[in-house]
Amino acid sequence: MATIEFNQVGKSYGSVEAISDFNLSIEDGEFCVFVGPSGCGKSTALKMLAGLEETTKGNILIGGKDVTDLGPGKRDIAMVFQNYALYPHYSVRKNMGFGLKMRGYPASEINARVEEAAKILELTPYLDRRPKALSGGQRQRVALGRAIVREPAAFLMDEPLSNLDAKLRVHTRSEIVKLQRRLGVTSVYVTHDQVEALTMADKIVVMKLGVIQQVGSADELFENPRNLFVAGFIGSPGMNFFRGTIQNAEGRVFTTFGGAEVPLSDTLASRAGGDAIFGIRPEHIVMGKGKVETGLSLVESLGTEKILHFQIPAGQTIDNSEIENDEEDDDRDAQSMRARIIDDHKYQNGETVKMDFPRSKIHVFDIETHEAIK
Amino acid sequence: MIDFSSPRHRHKLGYLLIAPALIMMALIIVYPILLSVDISFQDVKIARIGSDRKPFSIENYEWLFTSGEFYNSLWVTVRLLLFVGGTALIFGFACALLLNEKFKGRSFARLLVILPWAVPEVVAVVIWAWMLDSSFGVFNWILLTTGMISEPIAFASDPTSAFFSVCLVMIWKGYPFICIMLLAGLQSIPEEQYQAASVDGANVFQRFWHVTIPNMLPVLGVCFVMTALWVFRDFAIIFVLTEGGPVGSTKSLAIMTFEQSFQFFRMGRAAAVGVITLILCAILSRALVSRFAKSVA
Repeated sequence: MATIEFNQVGKSYGSVEAISDFNLSIEDGEFCVFVGPSGCGKSTALKMLAGLEETTKGNILIGGKDVTDLGPGKRDIAMVFQNYALYPHYSVRKNMGFGLKMRGYPASEINARVEEAAKILELTPYLDRRPKALSGGQRQRVALGRAIVREPAAFLMDEPLSNLDAKLRVHTRSEIVKLQRRLGVTSVYVTHDQVEALTMADKIVVMKLGVIQQVGSADELFENPRNLFVAGFIGSPGMNFFRGTIQNAEGRVFTTFGGAEVPLSDTLASRAGGDAIFGIRPEHIVMGKGKVETGLSLVESLGTEKILHFQIPAGQTIDNSEIENDEEDDDRDAQSMRARIIDDHKYQNGETVKMDFPRSKIHVFDIETHEAIK
Repeated sequence: MIDFSSPRHRHKLGYLLIAPALIMMALIIVYPILLSVDISFQDVKIARIGSDRKPFSIENYEWLFTSGEFYNSLWVTVRLLLFVGGTALIFGFACALLLNEKFKGRSFARLLVILPWAVPEVVAVVIWAWMLDSSFGVFNWILLTTGMISEPIAFASDPTSAFFSVCLVMIWKGYPFICIMLLAGLQSIPEEQYQAASVDGANVFQRFWHVTIPNMLPVLGVCFVMTALWVFRDFAIIFVLTEGGPVGSTKSLAIMTFEQSFQFFRMGRAAAVGVITLILCAILSRALVSRFAKSVA
């Protein structure tokens, strides 16, 4: 059990800076998730914490002890890898006991601990099999088992679910969270999948290009994204964005969407006349009332919920490079917005509908810095 | 006209395409083997295609199993195999481990290692023969001028020196191939296994023992089989260096086969030696390959 601290940690490969000014403190027993698109440095940060990658600046503390100059074996951590990294020539039992054996534990204690961990992970029938004879989910549990028998100060997990199929991934996700709660071990988990981050984490660290964008709980990130990147990255389907001018007329602060007034918070009055980027989440759009009128370009029905697509008025679109979110699995279409609705109305393609963007649910971002404007 | 793209006929196209290669194999490999088995059971002096068959006899094998010459050759071959195979494997593995590390000039070092393998065998061995020459050779010169020996070593005429000279050249010629094979094997070991082992607290020797060695066993096995087979049939190195002498100390089965057939013109006996060599090679490769194939499964 231990706290983890990153102080001004940096990593550069020659002149290329992979990670800069990484400051983070993780509480004892906390489940912390590093999330971001590929190449954002989240895995590098984890490997630096594990001692598998050298830091070029700053220091890392585990349990208050500076481990920056210690090897991975001396940091009292356990790690779960994306491809499990099980030793193919050893049985499950030997795989799980390997770390204890390397630390010179007596065979009887190794065996007792392995049996105990196997019971927790329901691996007892497979203890004498080789990894090859196991399914993906079982291998994944063996990798977890190898980590928990050691009773380390911290668990590090590098995309441990990405080799599993979708159904098993959801199941294992909750298993990991339950296990972590039960053992109370500080955990750092790396993923590119924001759904995993939102569902598992006590603390989410959103990263982009080696820089921390925002640290907070799932709710904080969802409700108060600090910048355009976090706003677009967190949530599925992602937040809708459109461009507009902040206007102030007769005490009413508003912008327009295709000619219709969209009321804004009064605190924006001082920025009247300036352009901004506005964001609203698909589930916050209210259908059937309001001043905005638009034709639906596509209706996707998922049974209970429906995703309605509609065009952003000409001149108000934002291209994807501005959002700087190049996630492959994000199917964002820069020309249209999406609303996520659960109601009984049967929507038709091409139907003209009324909708409202509630004032309290509109996020406003600076057009230059992309920082959120409060 | 058969449509080979249809699933029903697809396999026929496969057979059709492989047929020329199979026919070639049959002509240049299988037929000579059968022919030499046939000759080994006849008392043939000089074999001529189309000449009359001699009566069936097991005389050649009787001679073989009662002559000290055959057992000497067999013993020379086994010693060569163990010494050359073992040393080349260790040396090649060490080189592969070095070349697998990241360092400046690594590609140049890889080129240097592969060089002995790329030089034509006879050319290389002639150079070695000169370097090992007892009067003019550079080896004796170095050993004499550094004072390590007081009189020149007769590399080619002393039985022990001759044997180890042959071993030296064979290892020099053979290890690059092993090294490249093992290097490929090393590169296929997932980096994460090493990372997991270091997180588990294994030091560099423990990582070598618990990760590198088990992952490499199949490749090491294949390498040993290939080196063993190479030692069995290599002819040029021994022939150019010592011609099998002195007093038979380097006369391997391959040299003996040559001697019987083209120096004594006893084709029947030569064929018998060849057949025995073939059987030994088959047993050896079968045993090693299946053993190591099992360890990967």
